[in-house]
Amino acid sequence: MRFFKKTTWAPSLRRLSGLRREEKQEDIMGLTDASGDLAGEMEVDAFRRLFPLRFYERHLLESIRPDARPLGKARDTTMALGAVASADGSALVKIGHTTMLAAIKMEVMTPASESPGEGCIAIDFHMPPICSPLIRPGRPAEAAPVLSKQLTDIILSSEMVDLKELCLIPGKAAWMAYLDIYCLDADGALFDAALLSAVAAFSHLCIPAVSVNDEGRVFAISEEQIEGKSLKEPLNKGKRKLTLSCTPLALTCILHKKYILADPTAEEESIMETLATVVLDMSGRLVSFYKPGGTFLAYTSAVQDCISLTRQRVKELQEILTEAIADLELD
Amino acid sequence: MAGKSSTYSLKKQHRLKKPLFKDLVDWVRPDTRGFHQCRPAFLRTGAVNAASGSAYVEFGSTKVIVSVFGPRESKKAMLYSDIGRLNCNVSYTTFATSIRGQGSDHKEYSSMLHKALEGAVMLESFPKTTVDVFALVLESGGSDLPVVISCASLALADAGIMMYDLVTSVSVSCLGKNLVLDPITEEESYQDGSLMITSMPSRNEVTQLTLTGEWSTPKIHEMARVITTTRWLRPYCDYIEDEGHLRSTCFKLHPELRPKNGRGKPRIAAISEVPFSSGEGGA
Repeated sequence: MRFFKKTTWAPSLRRLSGLRREEKQEDIMGLTDASGDLAGEMEVDAFRRLFPLRFYERHLLESIRPDARPLGKARDTTMALGAVASADGSALVKIGHTTMLAAIKMEVMTPASESPGEGCIAIDFHMPPICSPLIRPGRPAEAAPVLSKQLTDIILSSEMVDLKELCLIPGKAAWMAYLDIYCLDADGALFDAALLSAVAAFSHLCIPAVSVNDEGRVFAISEEQIEGKSLKEPLNKGKRKLTLSCTPLALTCILHKKYILADPTAEEESIMETLATVVLDMSGRLVSFYKPGGTFLAYTSAVQDCISLTRQRVKELQEILTEAIADLELD
Repeated sequence: MAGKSSTYSLKKQHRLKKPLFKDLVDWVRPDTRGFHQCRPAFLRTGAVNAASGSAYVEFGSTKVIVSVFGPRESKKAMLYSDIGRLNCNVSYTTFATSIRGQGSDHKEYSSMLHKALEGAVMLESFPKTTVDVFALVLESGGSDLPVVISCASLALADAGIMMYDLVTSVSVSCLGKNLVLDPITEEESYQDGSLMITSMPSRNEVTQLTLTGEWSTPKIHEMARVITTTRWLRPYCDYIEDEGHLRSTCFKLHPELRPKNGRGKPRIAAISEVPFSSGEGGA
């Protein structure tokens, strides 16, 4: 009994049971949706669960979102470089609650015969079961391989990293950069966060100093050995930082009727299903536009609006990235 | 991805020699800790928003994140059970270990985590349903499983799952004549024997005890003394100089905290009681 007294559920449930009769009345009065009438009496949380789309559309009318963001605003973004000491480069990125941990481990390989002067990048995106209640161990998430492929395409095609810089001895040895991105908390806009963490991990990457032995095998040398001059010059002296050009950055938007919602949360993504992801590079050139189906078709004007929102967002992200790198250099 | 299969990770050419523990009594640990000292710790609950409860724990360079989901519906294939089920899984990131992808060697950790927690969780409080405990080791720096267990118990408490007590865990390595508490990876690779103890500190009960490697009976006795005198496993009050509670909850020092009408509050796991002396832990 206490349960019913405490909440306003009892009266609203009673009203729900009498719904049929009321609906008829509303039809006469010209109202078609019962939820509109119920809204006045139901608790906000109950309404949000029962009529999620109505709940959002009511907010959109006022040009605001349930988390108090204007439609075009992305969530707060933070970045920490060097989160994992066991990797050669790493970054932890948070966009709202969405958390991504990216780390790069460098290994040595023999370059392919068709490109003897180039290294390689292997990108993998993981969604471990800790990140979302929908993922169980042993059953990998459907979204993970899709995002893996998208990230690989964008990072390689944008030519952010010059693969020639990953070469050690042409034809003999080159770097293979294994970039693994883990989603630690999934709350929407996974691609944006994953790409940002990948870019941040590359800017934190410091390639280990190496030398080569008589058998042609590459091995790591420590800082003391370089200073103590106990060994010959390191093979990759002065080539331990990559020069990143045309860094790609992304913004995902929801298209719903005439509205465009930037940087959606998981709840928004599940209610309004039409997504569009725009990737621009630092100089504002379009790298990719990805709209995987959905119920709403995008007009040219909507596409242009998405791109201009992304343009603003890229500027913000650029500042966050520069700030993080500057902090790192201070330490 | 041409040449993907033929990559190799870098190795230091001159490997550090294994220290000779048997002759050296004044051997110093690689991180200059005392033999019976834990690494600095950092603990925080509420790390993953999507989970019912979660915790992030850092012991030196060992970094672990645990999410708890549920109680939720058991899998369809499961038989009816009038007590709840605990489902545990431990995985490693590919970059957790110094050589890529080595973390997948620890298949037994999932079942060991399950065994360690089983005794502490009140399974009868969520009949017919399952509580999922998923752990991800972000970086492995030694003593991974004890850190995972301690972190998982924090995450369970954060999710509001009823427990008899929080579960704390620690491991001890035997290196020649020395016993070292909370070993790092380097020490673990040299060890002659290892022991892991998991206990409920305020009830003074052990939920799991694992002994591996070479141990002599006097060594085991010494180890038992090391563990029980470490304030890690038992809350210690420095006001009355006895174990069982913390200074902050000492009734002699804070008589106003003494429960009235004779009956105390029922014992439920309280995060603030974790007896960590270092780090910004607690909640």
